[in-house]
Amino acid sequence: MRGLALLLCALAVAGAALAAGDAGLLPAPGAVPGWRPDGNARVFTGSGLYGHIDGGAEIFFEFGFEELTVQRYARGLDGVELELYRMRDPAAALGIYLGRCGRETPDPGLRERHTAGLHELMLVRERYFLIAANLDGKPEVAPQLVAFARAVAAALPAPQPVAALELLPRERRVAGSERLIRGPLALQSLITLGEGDVLQLGGRNTAAAAAYDAGEGHPACTLVVAEYPDDAGASRVLARLVEGLDPEVKPLRRGPDQLVFRDYAGKFGAASVAGRRLTLTLNLEREP
Amino acid sequence: MPRRYSTMDRSFTLDRREFVKAAGACSAVASGVVLGVPAFGDEAPKPAEVETNIADFLKVPKSKHSLPGPFPGRVVKVTDPRSLVGDKVDAKVVAEMFERGLRALTGVAPKQAFGMLFTRDDVIGLKVNPVGPPLINTRPELVDAVIRWLVDNQLPKGNIVIWDRFEPMLKDAGYTAERFPGVRIEALQTMDEEGNRWRDEKGNHISTANFDPDAFYFAKGVLGKGVRGYKDDEFYLNQHVFAGEYSYFGKLVTRRLTKIVNLAAYKNTGNGISMATKNLGFAAICNTGRLHAPLFFRVCTEVLAAPWVRDKLVLNVTDGLRAQYDGGPDKDEKFVYPNHSLYVATDPFALDMTCHRELVAKRKAMGVTVNEHPKFTDYLHYAEKLGLGIADPARITLVTA
Repeated sequence: MRGLALLLCALAVAGAALAAGDAGLLPAPGAVPGWRPDGNARVFTGSGLYGHIDGGAEIFFEFGFEELTVQRYARGLDGVELELYRMRDPAAALGIYLGRCGRETPDPGLRERHTAGLHELMLVRERYFLIAANLDGKPEVAPQLVAFARAVAAALPAPQPVAALELLPRERRVAGSERLIRGPLALQSLITLGEGDVLQLGGRNTAAAAAYDAGEGHPACTLVVAEYPDDAGASRVLARLVEGLDPEVKPLRRGPDQLVFRDYAGKFGAASVAGRRLTLTLNLEREP
Repeated sequence: MPRRYSTMDRSFTLDRREFVKAAGACSAVASGVVLGVPAFGDEAPKPAEVETNIADFLKVPKSKHSLPGPFPGRVVKVTDPRSLVGDKVDAKVVAEMFERGLRALTGVAPKQAFGMLFTRDDVIGLKVNPVGPPLINTRPELVDAVIRWLVDNQLPKGNIVIWDRFEPMLKDAGYTAERFPGVRIEALQTMDEEGNRWRDEKGNHISTANFDPDAFYFAKGVLGKGVRGYKDDEFYLNQHVFAGEYSYFGKLVTRRLTKIVNLAAYKNTGNGISMATKNLGFAAICNTGRLHAPLFFRVCTEVLAAPWVRDKLVLNVTDGLRAQYDGGPDKDEKFVYPNHSLYVATDPFALDMTCHRELVAKRKAMGVTVNEHPKFTDYLHYAEKLGLGIADPARITLVTA
């Protein structure tokens, strides 16, 4: 009987923890001096994210979203809201961050990768993505965002490197232009080559993209690099890409390992396969 | 006997192929959002052709006030750097800008402009965009200026309704009775974030009666039930009230408002924009979650073609005091910039085309890789084919004031 009671008790505790999401990772009352939680934490699990984001939730799903915990804090009439997104893995969290951080403006008081502004601070660590929002945009509250972010970061797991970024050549790469891609939404921000998931990333495989400056013998361009489990897989993706090419994109040359095209904006590009790696070269001024 | 909300299938005459043909487009129907992702190696299904009831809308004869209004293709941009300094909006300057915009658009004084667009017994809905406060929503100061203009022309304050689709967002953006005394503030529906307080004692969504069973946007085979990306159908119903092939218009729009002033924010949504036509297209109706993937931009044209919108929408002012060139439609401070401008037009499609082109130029200037696929503006050309506005840049007159 005592065992059953303990089991029920344990289940109740586990249930409460589930209901609270990652609230345990957020600052307790007074952890950021002067601030107290304002209401209960709200938790949005899986596709329940639509309950919080009006426009823009889809990209979270494409990268791999697990849970969002939202908690407001108050200090007198001042308000701060924390949104802590738990993604499937570190690449998913970094993918969201890179798509939203713009030119990073870090605060010297915070070591984690982040960007800080008057209204918002965004931070990424391991598989977590944090937005700390200054609800009324008061200048005196902006430094508090750093304090909140520091408190949250201390509770998060240690950062891990994201391997997909290593797919990108370093030479001539424009700093801050790096992006990650796991499906059609992220790719669409760069180019439309066809309907659906033309790179066959399936929300699991991670491609990387970046802008490149012109250099000796190298034109300015955008590169997208994806790696597949084997050579045949990469070749299949190229073949399907050619087959389903968007009608606005004009193929110029085709070969077993390469497609050269002209896009709807008059720029040139190429899709090429080498081994298990597929590379898109985009935004070329001249035909390659 | 009151009409019931329908779950029956219906089909109409304009399918996607005809839509694309009508739009003069040679690519797929604009689709800004794709929900869900296939497993590795799976072929993504091609979007189905979708039949809608656009033909029914087009059968209704136009009225004196139908789109594109008295100034097709005319867009006025009013810029004043004093309007926004730091984070502070100068309400007086914004009011001056609005008046300058009206004069430049209509060629007459604000009093005559009022008479051109309204009568004193009109019930006027001010459709704001409350998403993303305090960064990128419609500014209350702009709404103040519009209200003052209406009231100065003897429109009773009680005949003004500030509205949006969702109740909690209006409050968050500062649209409260305390801030706007004497003006009605209404949402078409509630949406409970916790998902457990939205049914009445009979089990219906408490906002059901706010929607008009006689007025709907129909999209065959595009169901709210089982939409990928939603947790479950219950969750979908909480947010969208209905889940079938019908998206009902709010009764506020179809039965109570006699005119609409559209006060959009200025921001991107991916490679497209979320401004004037989106502000109404996805807010005048319910059950919109189902429409995002297959019909995102098309809805921005076809819902505005419905007579309840087409014949009442007489003025559009896009609030570009602040603008957002990337990261939208959600707010993102990193891409928000002071633009110090209002954009005024009776023609929302010319207005959106103007702002789209301006935003593309801004994105390029800021070093953003821009995807200029025509599918992101096909819906505007489609509207031109339907006689709702002008989208051809060569036929749009941009006036700076």
